[in-house]
Amino acid sequence: MEIKFESLDGSSFEYRVMMIIFAFFSVVGLLATWWVIEKGIWVTGMYTRVPWGLQIVMAVYYIGLSAGSLVISGLYGVFGKAEYKPFARIAVYVAMLFLIAGLLSILTDQGRMDRVFVEPFVHFNLQSMFSINPILYIGHILICIVYLWALFCEKKTLTKVIATLAFGWAFCVHSGTGAIFGFGARVLYESPLLPASFVAAAMASGTALMILLIVTLFKITKRHLDDELIIWLGRFLAICVLVVVYFLAVENAYRAYVVELRHAAVYYLFGGIHSLLFWIGLIFIGCIIPMFILFRKKTGKSIRWIVLASSLVIFGVLCERYVIVIPGLTNPPELFPGMEITFSAIQEGFASYTISFLEVLQAVGVFGIIGFLFGLGLKLFKLLPTEARILDPNI
Amino acid sequence: MDRRDFFKIAGGTILAGTSGVYAIRRLTGSIPGSTVADSPLTGKKWGMVIDLSKCVEDCTACLDACRYENNVAFHQDERWDVHWIRKIRLESKIGTTSTEKSVILLCNHCEKPPCAQVCPVQATYKREDGIVVVDHHRCIGCRYCMIACPYNARYFNFKDKEDWSNTDRPKRSHGVAEACNLCAHRIDLGELPACVEACSNVGEGAIMVGDMNDSGSEVAKIIMAEAVKRLKEDLGTEPKVYYLGL
Amino acid sequence: MRSKDILNNKPSAAVAAIPITIILLPVLYSIFTFAFAQEKKGTEQFLEMPDAVYTKCVRDTEYMRHNHWVLLRVVREDVVRYGKRGEISLKRCGECHTSREKFCKKCHDAVSMKPDCYGCHYYP
Repeated sequence: MEIKFESLDGSSFEYRVMMIIFAFFSVVGLLATWWVIEKGIWVTGMYTRVPWGLQIVMAVYYIGLSAGSLVISGLYGVFGKAEYKPFARIAVYVAMLFLIAGLLSILTDQGRMDRVFVEPFVHFNLQSMFSINPILYIGHILICIVYLWALFCEKKTLTKVIATLAFGWAFCVHSGTGAIFGFGARVLYESPLLPASFVAAAMASGTALMILLIVTLFKITKRHLDDELIIWLGRFLAICVLVVVYFLAVENAYRAYVVELRHAAVYYLFGGIHSLLFWIGLIFIGCIIPMFILFRKKTGKSIRWIVLASSLVIFGVLCERYVIVIPGLTNPPELFPGMEITFSAIQEGFASYTISFLEVLQAVGVFGIIGFLFGLGLKLFKLLPTEARILDPNI
Repeated sequence: MDRRDFFKIAGGTILAGTSGVYAIRRLTGSIPGSTVADSPLTGKKWGMVIDLSKCVEDCTACLDACRYENNVAFHQDERWDVHWIRKIRLESKIGTTSTEKSVILLCNHCEKPPCAQVCPVQATYKREDGIVVVDHHRCIGCRYCMIACPYNARYFNFKDKEDWSNTDRPKRSHGVAEACNLCAHRIDLGELPACVEACSNVGEGAIMVGDMNDSGSEVAKIIMAEAVKRLKEDLGTEPKVYYLGL
Repeated sequence: MRSKDILNNKPSAAVAAIPITIILLPVLYSIFTFAFAQEKKGTEQFLEMPDAVYTKCVRDTEYMRHNHWVLLRVVREDVVRYGKRGEISLKRCGECHTSREKFCKKCHDAVSMKPDCYGCHYYP
């Protein structure tokens, strides 16, 4: 059976409203970023003890979504599941957009944005994870472009080759992002498990995003979608979430077990707002409820419940990014074991961090930009299939 | 010309253009003369000894001298202040007895600096003579070095400042990271760092700087003979700031 | 590759013109400002005669006019990274070329070059 793709007409009222909202978001974000460049980074609320904030959290999150979506497109390209071919194009396109979003988030976080496009490439430092990652990201975008082209032109062998490459590359990209933190010197960052745990979280969030996106798009544009396809993705999502929980459990068990890391583990698990996000946002809302929904026979077969579970997972993984990035910074390095600092010119001990309004505006801007590009892509390119049905195995 | 040809030509032009620009930047970047080989710094290894028994509790001579000499941004706000050198008070307890002492903290000029390892543009850099410097011309302000430093000794210019103390030395624009550079500009001219000078003038000479490769220097003698301590030696970063009486 | 495989409806010329203009705008702007500045004045007039503290510059005029940035960059790398503090420094330029407004800014403004030296350095 030939699957036909088409682009949106883009003349409906809803489409125009959506595009105007996204355009407004991007303008707001650009203005916020201009303000930050003009005044300096202090306006975003970051300070000496917490030099990384929401922008890095969002960057890691976006890159995870990107790597995860690329894995979904790999279902057709790598594993030859022909019934997932209708989603391949849109998955690759979304993967490309989210990587751009991640790069934009990192870019708007730099102190000297004017130098970002020159210095890292002229004075390449092979020892730095921050220097290796841009190479992976740029490669990822290029691979996505070739992949999209192969899918559009229906080139069978090229699709197979590039899909396999993209699949492996997506793993590298997100492992590399995990290594930025995992190979660092902070107590709550340092962990060789982190890259693997990042990949698991990326697959979970990417699958959840694709479920949400596909179901909403097909519903809004009134296309036919076989329930079985989404149900299978839901089961896949459940397994991904299980792996995420496993990695989290191992990491925290290690920290709680080893004596010198125990105080850090206590701070991580029961030490403030991030602990609330960890237990309620990540473990309860992001993992337990979705797994309960997806593994239960009755709810696991209902599209509404699966969509609910996907949105919860997306939220849960955002919480996971937050509780990876921020507590690692607010937890102080112990310079003088057994001694107490009674006076200091900078904040000692556990630092605090609150997300500031400007950071939210910047994040909203990045989201607006890729939302706008997504809408534009739906209108310009033949991304959406006319319908998605399970193929008859006899043909 | 159909669309296909257009894409080929356009793509080729963009590729050639960007790679050409890259090649030019590369070539002009590696200018003859800037090599490690004929550097006047080879063979030296600057180290610092801080004798805490001589450090007076309320004295801030070294901090003030450093702030003045290097135009260190001081906003009187503990969140965004930059401290190349700072003073803390430590309380240690053994049983029920407790003692207090003042400790000076600064960049440790590690022999294996984690900040220089992670810098994506090689702006943070260990010179031939062991001083870790920040090249403000290159820094893109990613703040990864602040994450990597296990001593919390690196700072970032979050804020702009209007009035600068020393017009002989460069001021700072916001958006670059920095830390103590052991007054490299003074050391190159054969002078001692500002904090050392201030400490010997005002205080009792608690801070000493010298060449650790020169066995005759005071610093080398103290390190060899006395019970010196370094911060977090277990990390293997090999700091070159030694503490006496910590 | 046929276009109808990818694109359903071809964008009109007006729609295509907008992004192309946006991309080309900075390039065109600098080309125009450069061209007109050259035509109006000519390079000679940009230079102010220096106060004669020294009789000649560190390099000859022709070299300095075109390659002063290379020289300054070499010196910068030498000083910051290799500790070679020699004869040449940005501060000593000011001993002859006393005014930054007349000396640096005239040319740089005309060709839309905005080096950020003086974000940190003091011009004497």
